[in-house]
Amino acid sequence: MQIVVGVAEMKVSNQQEHVVITHALGSCIGVAIYDPLVKVGGLLHYMLPDSALDEEKGRENPFMFADTGIPRLFKECYKLGALKQRMLVKVAGGSQVLGGPEHFNIGRRNYAALRKIFLKNNVLIGKEDVGGTKARTMYLEIATGKVWVKIIGQNQTIIEL
Amino acid sequence: MSLVPQVLRSLKNLPPFPMVAQRTLLLLNKPEVSIQELVEVVKFDPAITANILRISNSAYFGLRREIHSLHQALLLLGTQELLKIIIASGATRVFAAPTPGYFTERQGLWRHSVSCGLMVDVLCRELSLPDQATGFTAGLMHDIGKVVLSLFVEQKFHEIMEVVEKQGVSFQAAEKIILGVDHAEMGGEMARMWDFPDRLRLAITYHHLDKPEAYTDDLILLVYLADILCLMFGQDLGTDGLAYTGYPEVLRHFHLREKNLQRVLLQFGSAWDEAQVLFGLMGQKDGIQRANRG
Repeated sequence: MQIVVGVAEMKVSNQQEHVVITHALGSCIGVAIYDPLVKVGGLLHYMLPDSALDEEKGRENPFMFADTGIPRLFKECYKLGALKQRMLVKVAGGSQVLGGPEHFNIGRRNYAALRKIFLKNNVLIGKEDVGGTKARTMYLEIATGKVWVKIIGQNQTIIEL
Repeated sequence: MSLVPQVLRSLKNLPPFPMVAQRTLLLLNKPEVSIQELVEVVKFDPAITANILRISNSAYFGLRREIHSLHQALLLLGTQELLKIIIASGATRVFAAPTPGYFTERQGLWRHSVSCGLMVDVLCRELSLPDQATGFTAGLMHDIGKVVLSLFVEQKFHEIMEVVEKQGVSFQAAEKIILGVDHAEMGGEMARMWDFPDRLRLAITYHHLDKPEAYTDDLILLVYLADILCLMFGQDLGTDGLAYTGYPEVLRHFHLREKNLQRVLLQFGSAWDEAQVLFGLMGQKDGIQRANRG
């Protein structure tokens, strides 16, 4: 059964039949975390790096921003019995349009925000597929913790992260 | 080998632009539009009146009172909003065919087009520019060339993508290299055949800012920027992904900093949720189904 995560949403699950999906990541970032021992996983699709932009919005919907969304993603998984030291972390998205890196770089800022939060909290990214101009759809299979990224294109290339 | 003759031949079979939308486009330039003029236009298509009421009463406008008539809709929403609704519901037929060269989802082009129209509105608000139906319409129509070019892009997709990847050019530039014509030019040609107002035609033709003429009208720059922001937002992205060029001079022209762009995306997120009724204009069952997607 597919559980869909929209823009600025997050879903966690321990249901073995669930595949958690987020469609069409542009500059947004999808973060999948998974504890293989208890088979608990979560997927967050955030849009912007920092809730300082609009703190009220950040309280209203923490999943809009990296700094408010990522901690919540971990906490919701802990509630289902996951432990931080067992978490496998995979990241996709953060694409950019062509041109100089100094403008239109929300994708890169989104990625930088995530790295900063992970560094501060001693979280390692296991695998990632970020940047470039590709549109990506991301899947997390709760039964196995496998993560796939589908590159939107004619071939619909699917890679396992 | 250029496909231009083949592409141009395919334009000979271009169906007419839906009449109600066509007539409404002519009202865009008028400073005042009377209720009588609007009634004259929509009376040819009873489904449009039903759509107007449905959209007027949706979360998109969030009115407290229920609207029962065209007249009431005009009073409460104003001419510009009503023009947007009429054009969007009148134009759906043009977007009805799938465009597999660009979108793997059947309604991908429609959804991207509506999104771009909404994004122009959000940008106008951020820039304190008047939120006019012309901007929404130009956003809605900017990729109309993809309707016809899809067939050819589908055939040559891998060659086009190879040019994008090897030469680092935009998807549009690669279309031009491989097919001899790109979707913006194609859209401009269609707009000419359909007698679109000049401003609208030029916004379609130049929306990727690949010619100096693009800089003659802020409307073109707004549509360009809205398109780029839609790609960044994600959702309903096509096979061309984000392979288009970001021009910093456009940001400077509008005095937009990155924070402004972030705020526009934030606002667009809410507008997009509330506008599901517009996406749903294309095949209502499917629209509702897809509205639950995100």
